[in-house]
Amino acid sequence: MSKAWTEHATLALGLMLLLSAQPGAADPAEPRRELDLPLERYEPHVRGDLRLSGTYPLWRDRSRLDWRLAGSPEEHWKLNWKFMDPPYNSAVHGGHFALDRGEALYRQLDRSGRFAACLGAPRGRLKGLRTRYPRYRADLGRVVGLEEAIEHCAAAQGQVLENGSYDNSAVSLYIASLSQGLPIAIDVSRGPMRAAFERGRRLFHTRAGRLNFACSSCHVRNVGQMLRGSHITTPYGDVAHYPVYRTQYMLQSLHLRLIECNLDAGVQPLRPGSRAYTDLEVFLTALSNGYPVSVPAERH
Amino acid sequence: MHLPLYGLLFAGLALCAWAGDWPADAAVDAHAPTRTLTPKVVVNSGRLAWEPYKRDLTPWPSLSHLDRRPTPPPQAAGFTPPLRGDVARGRAIALDPARGNCIACHVLPGEDWPGSLGHLLLGYRKRGHSDAYVYQQIYDRRLINPNTVMPPFGTFGLLTEQDIRDLTAYVQSLD
Ligand code: HEC
Ligand code: HEC
Repeated sequence: MSKAWTEHATLALGLMLLLSAQPGAADPAEPRRELDLPLERYEPHVRGDLRLSGTYPLWRDRSRLDWRLAGSPEEHWKLNWKFMDPPYNSAVHGGHFALDRGEALYRQLDRSGRFAACLGAPRGRLKGLRTRYPRYRADLGRVVGLEEAIEHCAAAQGQVLENGSYDNSAVSLYIASLSQGLPIAIDVSRGPMRAAFERGRRLFHTRAGRLNFACSSCHVRNVGQMLRGSHITTPYGDVAHYPVYRTQYMLQSLHLRLIECNLDAGVQPLRPGSRAYTDLEVFLTALSNGYPVSVPAERH
Repeated sequence: MHLPLYGLLFAGLALCAWAGDWPADAAVDAHAPTRTLTPKVVVNSGRLAWEPYKRDLTPWPSLSHLDRRPTPPPQAAGFTPPLRGDVARGRAIALDPARGNCIACHVLPGEDWPGSLGHLLLGYRKRGHSDAYVYQQIYDRRLINPNTVMPPFGTFGLLTEQDIRDLTAYVQSLD
């Protein structure tokens, strides 16, 4: 049998498999989108990483990191970059300036106490607020992230704090700092939050853009692999250090990080606060449940 | 909204029949040279600035719930011999981050900074695959492996037919 013939047969077989194995979209009216399979189950808790990259024990406890790993360019990714969380370089990095700015802005916005009330802080107490966002807001009729809430509540005071802007992220950083060390704790077991988590999970595996990559093409299938000079890490435990100081980005909110990952993977990015990014935020935040908030952090 | 002729605007873009409108929540300025925008954080400002991105990403599906475009389905390449590929040009395309960028995932000879996602392509010459088979791998590997991470360079209009011929010649030449 000729080689060419076998290869034709392989192609034909591949096509048949493809036609039979296409996963059906949830809604028949939805456009057919390829998924990166399998669509992992994911645990809405940071320990779920034990079944993904297995690196969690190495970064679970910030005070017991193995600094020899941090010094190794081949292995430092196993620490999920947690060695750049505070008290790292506690002297001065841009995150500390942003924190001061955020505190000043917050005080000015909350002179009447209405800003805190709008954000949903009980009796103006910000402690723990960060750990319970994103949340479903009945007044807005949708699930919102903290930065979207900040934008909304600032607008109610007649101030423009666009989602993703430096000042918005600075206020978010200040609010996060008052939950320092408290574990992220969002509930995705029911209602609109559960629906958002499920949409986020599916989006995380949806292929898009010029290269037809999904988030999971990198963050599940290729954890620890090197892509264009950086090692890819687990999606578990990422949200606890946002907004984060980055040299080129100054202050980067989670939605801006999603834009960066989209651009790097050749996917048309969306505006911060878009529904799809908020769904991904719910999904990623659930994957950080149980991990302590640690700000201000820096990343390369 | 009107349907612009993406194919003409995009250098080297093959037929791009799936291209439609981008969704309303995409970071796009229809009048910017490449349409796609990238955010710029302005210190001590409540506004987020946007700059033109180096590349137009609007022709391909995004993650927006408002994006109605399907994933372009896998295509057979329909390769016709003879190959007429240029090994040196193929190598240049494989190493060029703006074009093939095969080096991002494949270990190629003589390069210091290989990616580690893909297979070793070394020794391909001895494997005795037909040109048509190799051409199809680059054109759209989804026909062979529906769950591949390798981009469908032909179907998605990322490389021209001649580019893929040159790359096929290059891959087939690797010891
Ligand atoms: C082409 C590969 C690739 C794709 C696709 C990709 N990312 Fe990333 N992502 C990276 C790399 C590399 C980094 C930086 C190293 C790290 O922290 O993993 C990163 C970082 C991140 C971070 C920050 C981690 C931290 O500790 O601060 C988040 C969050 C993230 N990605 C989420 C996503 C989401 C959501 C998607 C899909 C919209 C996505 N990524 C798609 C490669 C990718
Ligand atoms: C995003 C990563 C990525 C890029 C970029 C990439 N490839 Fe691949 N390629 C792979 C992977 C992974 C496989 C094998 C497994 C699979 O299909 O997922 C593969 C398989 C192949 C094969 C088949 C190998 C075999 O064993 O038969 C060839 C040939 C090939 N690639 C050539 C190229 C060329 C030429 C380029 C540049 C135009 C390129 N690849 C770009 C990831 C990539």
